[in-house]
Amino acid sequence: MQSSPGTVTPLEDIAAWQSQRSGQDPRARLTPDLVALAQNGATILLGAQLDGRPTVGFGVCCRALPDGYLRIILSRSANAGVLAAIAAGGRLAATFTGAPSHRAFQVKTSRCRVGAATQDDRPEIERQANLFYDGLSEIGFTRDLAAGWLALDMADLASVELLPERVFTQTPGPGAGAELPR
Amino acid sequence: MTPLAVDGLRRSMEGVFASMLATCDAEGTPNVSMISQVHYVDSQHVALSYQFFNKTRANVMQTRMASVQITDPSTFLHHRLDLDYVDTRTSGPIFETMKAKLAGIASHHGMDGVFRLLGADIFRVVRIEAVPGPTLPPSEPRRLLASTRLACAELAAAQDLETLLDGSLRWLDVHYGIRTAMILMLDEDREHLFTVATRGYARSGVGSEVALGEGVIGVAARESTPIRIGHVTREYRYGSAITETARQAGLVSGDAQTIRFPGLSAPRSQMALPIRGTDGLLGVLFVEDEEAMRFDHEDEDALAIFADHLAARIALFRREEADEMEEAAPDPLPEQTGQTLRFHPLDQSVFLDNDYIIKGVAGAILWRLVREHRATGRTEFTTRELRLDAGLRLPAHAENLDARLILLRKRLEERRTCLSIERSGRGRFRLHLACGLTLVEADSDTGGSP
Repeated sequence: MQSSPGTVTPLEDIAAWQSQRSGQDPRARLTPDLVALAQNGATILLGAQLDGRPTVGFGVCCRALPDGYLRIILSRSANAGVLAAIAAGGRLAATFTGAPSHRAFQVKTSRCRVGAATQDDRPEIERQANLFYDGLSEIGFTRDLAAGWLALDMADLASVELLPERVFTQTPGPGAGAELPR
Repeated sequence: MTPLAVDGLRRSMEGVFASMLATCDAEGTPNVSMISQVHYVDSQHVALSYQFFNKTRANVMQTRMASVQITDPSTFLHHRLDLDYVDTRTSGPIFETMKAKLAGIASHHGMDGVFRLLGADIFRVVRIEAVPGPTLPPSEPRRLLASTRLACAELAAAQDLETLLDGSLRWLDVHYGIRTAMILMLDEDREHLFTVATRGYARSGVGSEVALGEGVIGVAARESTPIRIGHVTREYRYGSAITETARQAGLVSGDAQTIRFPGLSAPRSQMALPIRGTDGLLGVLFVEDEEAMRFDHEDEDALAIFADHLAARIALFRREEADEMEEAAPDPLPEQTGQTLRFHPLDQSVFLDNDYIIKGVAGAILWRLVREHRATGRTEFTTRELRLDAGLRLPAHAENLDARLILLRKRLEERRTCLSIERSGRGRFRLHLACGLTLVEADSDTGGSP
């Protein structure tokens, strides 16, 4: 497989950020394109610190709330470490990666809360899972592989709501990791 | 908490799925990213690719801790590993293997040149946690151990080196279903490998050369370690670079003396395994396939055992052959008409009329045999006399002589020449001339018998 359509660079992320921020409500935490990326089948990775060590987890769906929070739905048992770290008042990092573009951004925050998943989350979990499968099929995965990776028990869901305090481009390439300043 | 056994998780480290990596800085701020490679090092260690000096890298240097999550592509079981940083390798087998894999992964995702391996960060695994969640039952185990037992029994039954080398490739097909493979032996200069047996290709390519460090084969030879990649990239492919290498190796004039490398035109999976004797590298066993990720850790284990047995058999034949010292009586003189055999001393290349046959040690041997035949009428020769012939410029321990003779025999056969050689006993071989020959040594311009 050669160059994926729609592949972007960190420098393009920075330019897009600057151009969209210029006319945007300063209270908004993310630009519209990043909000769209987060809510449309992205791979969602979570990082936290528990008992002095890093711990990693993953979400299955993200919904942007009107108050600027990102609501991430995740398996409760598969993310026990991350949930415990948040409950203990620790900071959280979340990285959203789109396929097939590999475009990615990371948010970091100390403002997050753990809750239950609700019936309202379910249609969105299903919709975003399908987009996730579509994206992975475009980079060479079968739908079975994509579905297996994301598989979750609907009776074992929790939510994490986080307010992005700092945002970074995470798209691979020169400039990756650069902060997108508010 | 599961007992520490990274070995059981190797399938999750094949690179089918990207893995997740979390680190923290000294203040406890986390950072999380995808990582393309979690490389199995041994039962206690893994290596992560260090590609950029980014936040992850800074955090690792600061706190020396990481957490990764890996996924088994057949059961979908996730595992979380707590890691403590040990050191960074910027050369050697682990680095080279990861570098080759990374190049393939980058190419596979349309990111050639974006990913470059700066180092292989080695971590000790301090905790392994199976992540709860829906999984599939494990698939039926493959019968690689049984296949290896059968294949090694075939190796043990081979009666001579040529049967062993050609047979090895046939047995890889029969017992492992590997249809395209080759064996290359290390040249006396220890800077090149020459192809001595191939199977499954459109042309045999016997006699083609690969420089140490070039592609998967050359890197495996230089580092004496298996190199296995599931997404082959141009960087590790054998194409025009081979021609250039051959030209730089001291050939007189361009392409005529270059035998093209026979590899697949669009390989996706490749694996090269060193064939190691007690005194160092003997050669490389190379397999490839058009299917991506065709070879996994288990295949590598199986073929590594196979290559070790192959090495032991090669060493045995060499010892046996060295013990044999016989010489045959001369035969009547042949006629001196027909085709012209031309020898170029500079690179020891031999042409029959205008057809390139072989160069280097094999070329010198051929020239020596036909001259001896012309002078004395002999057709029976021993490898011992070749070893003792100072004019052949063989190094002190010309351990590859048998492989050279096999290469020469195959080239004479492939080019459909009127010359042939065949093994006539242990340490002995016979020269056949089906036509008269005029011998010409190019530089000295002495036509006819020297």
